[in-house]
Amino acid sequence: MEIRPILSALLRNRTGAVLIALQIAVTLAVVINAAHIVKQRLDLIGRPTGMDVANIFEVHSFDFAGEFNYRERVRGDLELLRNMPGVRAATVMNQVPLSGGGSSSGYFREPEREGPEVAGNHFTVDEQAVDTLGVSLSAGRNFRLEEIDYMDLDNVDVDSVLVTAAFAERLFPDGDALGSTIYSGGGDPLTIIGIIEHMHGSWVDWEELDQVVLLPVYVEQDFVRYVVRTEPGRRDEVLGIVEQKLSELDRERAVRGVRSMEELAAESYRGDRMMAVLLTAVIFLLIAITALGIVGLASFSVKSRTKQIGTRRAIGASRFDIVRYFLVENWLITTGGVILGSVLAVAFNLWLVRTFELPKLDFIYIPLGILALWILGQLAVLGPARRAASIAPAIATRTV
Amino acid sequence: MFRYYLRLALLSLKRNPILSTLMVAAIGIGIGVCMTALTVYYLMSADPIPAKSSQLFAVQLDSWDPNQPVSEARPEQAPWQLTYRDAMALRESDIATHETAMYYSARIVVSENEAVPPFLAWVRLADADFFSMFGVPFLYGGPWSSEVDETARPVVVLSKRTNEQVFGGANSVGSDLQLDDQIYRVVGVLEEWNPIPKIYDVNNGPFNDTEDIFLPFSLAELASDRRSEGNTSCWKDEDITSYTGFLNSECVWIQYWAELDSPAQVREYQAFLDNYVREQQRLGRFERPLNNRLTSARDWLDVREVVRDDNRVLVSLAFMFLAVCVLNTVGLLLAKFAGKAPQISLRRALGASRGTTFAQYLVEIGLVGIAGGLLGLGLAFLGLAGVRSFEGEYSKLAHLDPVLVGAAILIALLSSLAAGLYPTWRACRIPPAAHLKTQ
Amino acid sequence: MLKMQHVSKIYRTDLVETHALRDFGVHVREGEFIAVTGPSGSGKTTFLNIAGLLETFDGGSYLLDGEDVGRLNDRRRSRVRNEKIGFIFQGFNLIPDLNVFDNVDVPLRYRGFDAAERRRRIESTLDLVGLGSRSKHIPAQLSGGQQQRVAIARALAGSPRILLADEPTGNLDSLMARQILELIEDINARGTTIVMVTHDPELARRAARSIHIIDGKVSDLEPFDPPAVAIEARASA
Repeated sequence: MEIRPILSALLRNRTGAVLIALQIAVTLAVVINAAHIVKQRLDLIGRPTGMDVANIFEVHSFDFAGEFNYRERVRGDLELLRNMPGVRAATVMNQVPLSGGGSSSGYFREPEREGPEVAGNHFTVDEQAVDTLGVSLSAGRNFRLEEIDYMDLDNVDVDSVLVTAAFAERLFPDGDALGSTIYSGGGDPLTIIGIIEHMHGSWVDWEELDQVVLLPVYVEQDFVRYVVRTEPGRRDEVLGIVEQKLSELDRERAVRGVRSMEELAAESYRGDRMMAVLLTAVIFLLIAITALGIVGLASFSVKSRTKQIGTRRAIGASRFDIVRYFLVENWLITTGGVILGSVLAVAFNLWLVRTFELPKLDFIYIPLGILALWILGQLAVLGPARRAASIAPAIATRTV
Repeated sequence: MFRYYLRLALLSLKRNPILSTLMVAAIGIGIGVCMTALTVYYLMSADPIPAKSSQLFAVQLDSWDPNQPVSEARPEQAPWQLTYRDAMALRESDIATHETAMYYSARIVVSENEAVPPFLAWVRLADADFFSMFGVPFLYGGPWSSEVDETARPVVVLSKRTNEQVFGGANSVGSDLQLDDQIYRVVGVLEEWNPIPKIYDVNNGPFNDTEDIFLPFSLAELASDRRSEGNTSCWKDEDITSYTGFLNSECVWIQYWAELDSPAQVREYQAFLDNYVREQQRLGRFERPLNNRLTSARDWLDVREVVRDDNRVLVSLAFMFLAVCVLNTVGLLLAKFAGKAPQISLRRALGASRGTTFAQYLVEIGLVGIAGGLLGLGLAFLGLAGVRSFEGEYSKLAHLDPVLVGAAILIALLSSLAAGLYPTWRACRIPPAAHLKTQ
Repeated sequence: MLKMQHVSKIYRTDLVETHALRDFGVHVREGEFIAVTGPSGSGKTTFLNIAGLLETFDGGSYLLDGEDVGRLNDRRRSRVRNEKIGFIFQGFNLIPDLNVFDNVDVPLRYRGFDAAERRRRIESTLDLVGLGSRSKHIPAQLSGGQQQRVAIARALAGSPRILLADEPTGNLDSLMARQILELIEDINARGTTIVMVTHDPELARRAARSIHIIDGKVSDLEPFDPPAVAIEARASA
């Protein structure tokens, strides 16, 4: 079977073909860009956090009676938490990573804000934080128990810090971060005593999410946020009773806010999850609509060419020839559509990149999309083509 | 004639049930996807106080770092919030009809009722004018008096929800309420009030719920134990070692709104701001170029970019989706009308003009559009239920209202007519003599 | 009633020009029953389409009922078709979805009559063609002859001045064909002008006058003699 006669037949009766080609073009542009966004969001959500997210939760204690002893409160609560069956480690933090709440400052290698500035997302922690978060040190050492000081909110002043490797590399590109001194604004010097291999901070949409600084300090406040890590798989069990256990320890305060880190992270990624789910739905619906369009127009074309097909059969075309005619015809139309669609897809992506600062399209999506639409077209046209093939040759001699 | 066309349209739709179903489905799915995306976008960008949005102005002073703008990406902008000391200075002016400084904080509510365990409540500290400026409805009582704005007194306004939680929904005006270790007097209880977006403070979650409790801003200077829970940004190296030090710092954390009823008042207020800043410049502050901004509530959501880019992307993709559905419908209609050529030809011979034929088929297409619109609404309803299942702000941003329902039908009609225009035009061009010879 | 002078009609495609009518002239007087004959491709149907305002023509003039209808816009042409002309086709051309009543109703709708007037006209024309009891049937439930009667009723319902028939008996067997022809003659007897295209010279002899078209021109305007014997209408493929 030759392409030329099919093509010239198409060109003589082009409205339907043009419509399908246009539909395929827009479909390709939308599907490619949507798939690109979905993939990018799933990648974001699935990024390694460096932490044992699945086994961590937070719980708050707040004292409202005025007079209370912060150190006794924290010492008692931590002892209880750390001795609960199923608990692996517990610490006190100002915020929970991935939760969307947190603080950051600019850090310098020189005092008095001299030299390059690197942003660090800082958390106040104690010596069990490394184990609680499940992060691993790639160099140096953890905080020691005696290094954790008690301070009030307006006078936090520590000597040593743990930083993530990403933070260290930004501030010390030569790799000599460990043991070096850094400054937060005009404050006192901080010595980097250990490097955390990798860890995410508070804001999942922040470009410098992995630039984290841990400060060894208990900030004396009536609101305390405990972060607890359980043995694998025992989180829900511990999480279910922790509020009651802490309350039993001392009823003159309120224990609230039990949230798993998974839940907090899911909330932070809510927009991305929704985007991924909605766009996936869009992709599937669009493919379905386009396939239905192809089936609809192909059926119509079979119906309106009944006599012609009968004639072809009468003069010797086999069933397979007829099926092939429709497959080739569809392939030609789809090819026209995907050529236009590739241009549209790139143009649409450029617009998205310019307008919304979305990442650039990975070009592998285009051949994949083209392949998918080719297959889709052939599958969609197969039904009508087989119906065409079943037209009896005798139709040709019948006048209707 | 319209009713005749309607009857013909129904007959014709019944004649090709599969084709008709496909067309209605195509339009319907297109509308469903579009309306789902559009609803979230529409609610995100809604004007929550249409009656006042051109009189309420967000106040910005550029007190930021002399060496760099507050945002490298938008260097023309000033900080979104004010320092405490500047807010206190602006409160002294009486140019604005109403004005309020405010910030976001938290308190622990300790109920006398043993059955209600202490809980953490979100608090807005604001001036008395806040309630009238933003049209906050009261169920019981009212705002505190403006003297309280001058001389702090422990009074509190409760949200409807908090009043239900603590007082079982009774009129609690005059009752006492313990917040942390202090007793406050309830002066008012709000009606249900949840502006979306939360225009008065988009810094701290533009789609968050309204606060549980409202306290006088004048209490801020005493609140060293319960500070702002909102966004706080500092640029200057200041040796802050106390709450007072923080209040006097260059950190910005206060939202400030002024109600200015006429252009003259706006000009006067702008001049006042500029004068204030010049005065401060003489004292060594405000080292950046003069950049004091008054932005009406109407423009504020745009300036603050409250609508997320993701939602714009969704809307644009949704409309491309609709375009595919329309193209699809064009194809189906062409197929359908091609089958009708003999009838069209006959009707033309019997005296139907082109215009008449056009009208007849437009009615049929309009019918498809309306059916598609209704189906689309149903699908949008499902889609929005899906969006709501993501909870958080989406549970508030995914509801159809009458405007959206109207929009859905209108878009459905327009897209079906757009789809129908070319096929109908072609149908009307069929010469009356073309299909009479054979049948 | 119908007067064409020097009418020409050319069909153009990319490659060829076909002169369907050239310097065509005819004059049909009020109340006449005229047959138009000629071989296939001679221009019979083109003449009928132009006469029925279904097609435009390229040169010459056409007066219908004293009105120059050659240069009317689509709206006016549709109006004239609707009010003054009735069509009868070889293939009946009933709308299969509509019942008999609604089929006859089609031109009346475009005429803008009110419901009562339409009903009166539909019922009286259906009675005239002998189908008064079948108004709720759909075309597929009727025989060919009955379908053609419905088509005739549809053509007559608007009280046209002239009836254009294109091989009206072509799809019918001889008995039905005769009945239809008698009905047409009856209509003519009531004063409606009739122009009937046929390629059957015997059928044409039934008409009061016959014109013969060859190669797009009228070759003979002489009336036939009245038929000596009744002609059996012949079914044609």
